[in-house]
Amino acid sequence: MIPIAIAQQTVREAMRRRVMWIFLISGLFLIAMGPVFGFLSPKDSQTVLRSLGLAAILLAGLFITIVTCIYLIPSEIERRTIYTVLSKPVQRFQFVLGKFLGGFATVFINIFAMGLVFLVLIYSQEHRLPTDMFLGVVMTFFQMLLLAALSIFFSTFSTPVVNFFLSFGIFMVGNLSSVTDSLITNSNPLVSNAGRIVHYLLPNFGNFNIQNSIIHPTIEIKNPQVFMMQNIIYAVVYSLVLLTLAVLIFDRREV
Amino acid sequence: MASAIKIDGLTKKYIDVWQKQEVVAVNSLNLEVAEGEIFGFLGRNGAGKTTTIKMLLGLIFPTSGDATILGQPMGDNNVKQSLAYLPEETYFYDSMTGWDLIDFYGQLFKIPQPERSRRVQQCLEKVRLQPDAWKRAVRGYSKGMRQRIGIAQALINDPKLLFLDEPTSGLDPIAHAELRDIVASLKDEGKTVFLSSHQLADVELICSRIAIIHKGKLLTTGTIKELVEGERTEIVAQGSALQNGVFAKLQSVSSTATKEGDNRVRLISSSVEEINAIIDLVRGAQGQVISMVPQKRTLEDVFVETVRREDGDI
Amino acid sequence: MSTKKLPPSTANRPKQVLPILAVLYVVVMFLQSQIDPRVRELRQGEQQIGQASGSLNGEFLLLPLLGFREAAAGLLWVRCDEFFHSGDYDAILPLVRLITWLDPHADNVYITGAWHLSYNFTDSNERSDRRYIIPSQELLKEGVRNNPRIPDINFEMGWQNYDKIKDYVAAQEAFTNAINTPPWKGSDDYPYGAPLKTLHILAHTFAKQGRIPDALEEWQKALTRSTEQLNRDPKSFTFKSLHDTEINNTRMLMQRFHDRYTDHDHDKAVNPTTYPNVIAPPGGVGAPRPWDVSLRVKMEGTRPKVFKVAGNMNIADGARVDIRITDWDYDDKEAARKVKVSNEVLEKFKVDEDQTILMDTVSVRKNKFEKEVDMSKDPRMYSFSADTYKATFTFNIRTTSPHIQDRHGYSGEGLTDTKERILLDRRPEKMGTKLIEGQDGEGPVWDGKTVPWKQYGQPVRLVRVTYKLNRKQMLGQQSISDKDIIPNDAP
Repeated sequence: MIPIAIAQQTVREAMRRRVMWIFLISGLFLIAMGPVFGFLSPKDSQTVLRSLGLAAILLAGLFITIVTCIYLIPSEIERRTIYTVLSKPVQRFQFVLGKFLGGFATVFINIFAMGLVFLVLIYSQEHRLPTDMFLGVVMTFFQMLLLAALSIFFSTFSTPVVNFFLSFGIFMVGNLSSVTDSLITNSNPLVSNAGRIVHYLLPNFGNFNIQNSIIHPTIEIKNPQVFMMQNIIYAVVYSLVLLTLAVLIFDRREV
Repeated sequence: MASAIKIDGLTKKYIDVWQKQEVVAVNSLNLEVAEGEIFGFLGRNGAGKTTTIKMLLGLIFPTSGDATILGQPMGDNNVKQSLAYLPEETYFYDSMTGWDLIDFYGQLFKIPQPERSRRVQQCLEKVRLQPDAWKRAVRGYSKGMRQRIGIAQALINDPKLLFLDEPTSGLDPIAHAELRDIVASLKDEGKTVFLSSHQLADVELICSRIAIIHKGKLLTTGTIKELVEGERTEIVAQGSALQNGVFAKLQSVSSTATKEGDNRVRLISSSVEEINAIIDLVRGAQGQVISMVPQKRTLEDVFVETVRREDGDI
Repeated sequence: MSTKKLPPSTANRPKQVLPILAVLYVVVMFLQSQIDPRVRELRQGEQQIGQASGSLNGEFLLLPLLGFREAAAGLLWVRCDEFFHSGDYDAILPLVRLITWLDPHADNVYITGAWHLSYNFTDSNERSDRRYIIPSQELLKEGVRNNPRIPDINFEMGWQNYDKIKDYVAAQEAFTNAINTPPWKGSDDYPYGAPLKTLHILAHTFAKQGRIPDALEEWQKALTRSTEQLNRDPKSFTFKSLHDTEINNTRMLMQRFHDRYTDHDHDKAVNPTTYPNVIAPPGGVGAPRPWDVSLRVKMEGTRPKVFKVAGNMNIADGARVDIRITDWDYDDKEAARKVKVSNEVLEKFKVDEDQTILMDTVSVRKNKFEKEVDMSKDPRMYSFSADTYKATFTFNIRTTSPHIQDRHGYSGEGLTDTKERILLDRRPEKMGTKLIEGQDGEGPVWDGKTVPWKQYGQPVRLVRVTYKLNRKQMLGQQSISDKDIIPNDAP
């Protein structure tokens, strides 16, 4: 109940930020440009529409998630609003959870809006329900869940600027998960151990990148439901780990 | 009377990382605030007032020492049900309307509807925020309106103990007076108020007891009366004989005796015995006592004197 | 740091929570270990970004790092198209390499890139640079590996071998692979793996190999499929015209077979073939008769790196003599390079600048041919850095036009010349169908009797003259004479 109240208030604040709207509108614009690029490109126009749309959703989602989540807790401290909240019978874990839920709900609203426009656009072109594209949007959504948890985790002990680079950097490294995976089999034990540590320690954002596979209908994901569920559970459990760590740190934070 | 706050040796030290220096923000503070009183917590900027309040509320953590609030250990989540805090210069979620903001804080106390709406309205009325502002965003509020909202959010849970940090600073005279009266009225409802301020005139007017803290250390504590009044009385007497033979006798009773024009003598005395002796002498010399006025210091005098003495300026 | 006195509930939380965290983390690692093999499967064939980023412009680096290999590849492909239009061919290759790394499922990039490699690098006389053939083929092979469900890349591989390289065995293999692509719902060809035209071109490929029964069989398969598709969609013009082509080509092939190999009597109009559903057309001029082509070649150096090639050949107008001038060890070196190239991705587009190869043809008119071969204008293609060179002049009946095959058979069964000029390609995979007995190359004697249908073993009879030349002769410092003619190597 308390986290929900905080989350509602967080969404209300976050949705008023101009920078978020800039990213959302850019994302929608890119999606809408899909058919135009489709004509220009020598590739199959449907492929361009799909890849551009998914790219736009991921890119806009990425920036919206980061700029939303890195400020949630620091701005409360800076504006001292956190004093009025934490001096009420609100436990710190409830506060962190509320902030995370609020940040994530904001991201959800944005991805939902872009995903809806994207899917409607494809439907209007192909006159069939693009279920594979829907799965692509869902995967992006859970990728952003993990990223939101990561940003919240960093925001409990770092400034927004530092957090921006940390979140962005780890998102990049995490996207190279197939590289770190291949490092594990390297013959040099130093490299393979480093690869193993990075691969299992850092969140593997690359797991969620199924764009290539769904854009090209010839690539088949075996047991897609199982693959999806594994990735969704991965995102949820890893986010839980990050939020728990965030709470442990935030418990000790002097505000 | 049970104590609302009991502070026992509370200490907060910071390490200044760059200068590798230890800063003592609050130093072995001992203090007790009784239930139902308005307690003034005075100190210069940076004296450790806000640090103390934040420790009591569990926003920061003491290095050593302890405190109980309403009989519970400080920082306890349950006791916060009965607490309120108005931070100095708070910026609220300013895209929200006044009503929504107070409603939000009400949700944090899990106050169910429709009770919550009733309370929100009650609070907003109590702080005398004009109803036409209730549904406007806080962003457009004047400083006085913000401060009213601040007190309203502190009242939403009908707290037993309020920590108010500079509630009246920077306001216009009318708003100032109104807010001061609102704070004063809390006492009538049986609430305890821990008021941190440098508005000494306000404190003098509404507080029953005060403490002065300086550089983290408690310098003095007591009722305003004790601190301000003392026992000095000024006596002015008139009589043709007073400036002659009797004057030496008067001087021997009180060294402060001075001659004035119109056959008058002015004395300051600090004990009843002295006063009686002086009156006897004046009467005996056919003189008359023109005025006998108890001498009163302002709180400002007390504060400045106490702090300066600590700093060695006096 | 000064110590902090935390409230008891906060101070104890790590102790309570850490075991749960450990359990959750084990779950995370377990999930990752489950996800990894699936991701590996999906990423199969995708090169690592690290490898590709070496030559990436900054502007394109961000997208692939974010997981948008596909979008970045799409944008690069637009750039590539601009280069095609502006003729900046050298700029295309690195882009093609990059795009296929970023998006290994961009089938048309593999196809266009390979076509570009095979056809667009030419000398000043529009002769293409054959050194790019291997890179082109390797690129297609990579494309096939990364896109096992797309028939188009195999089709392109087949087409290049058919049209450019004239290796009909390789073409047949590629077309067959294309046809055997597993069908998947959503493709235009479902329930088949490849479009109908693939069957057509495979039939032509069989015919080019002299494998007439196989070609007929393929036409029949195509007919069955087009009939079925026409039944489903009787108004489809595409299927109707393909269907008509199949009927026409089947008849044409039967006609040629009968004209070239049988003595079938028109007037009796008996259908001699046992092949189902095919009525043999009238024809029958008998089997190819012995015919001495008497290929004579005279190669002269007129200026440094410029040669006059002239000669006689006793054959109908329109026959072409293939000219091939290479380093002596060109084929060995390329064979070695082929292995290396397929192992090393980064080397894929590189050609060996020190190697020289020229391929050209000259057509025979009134039993004579003459051509000037100028290799002096393109030092980057013709570096002449080897010490010894080989020049071959070959007449290959299988790559020639039908009216010449009408006289001498699909495999040149009737061709003859002096023994040292006749070259039999006895490699098993190159054998055509043995349509008449006795023509295994030993001489122009046969009994004319027919042999069982689909019996392989007819080698193609090539006619060839080989020169062995040194560097001085190539550079015009020493004259070329008939003494430089050596016996032919085995093909």
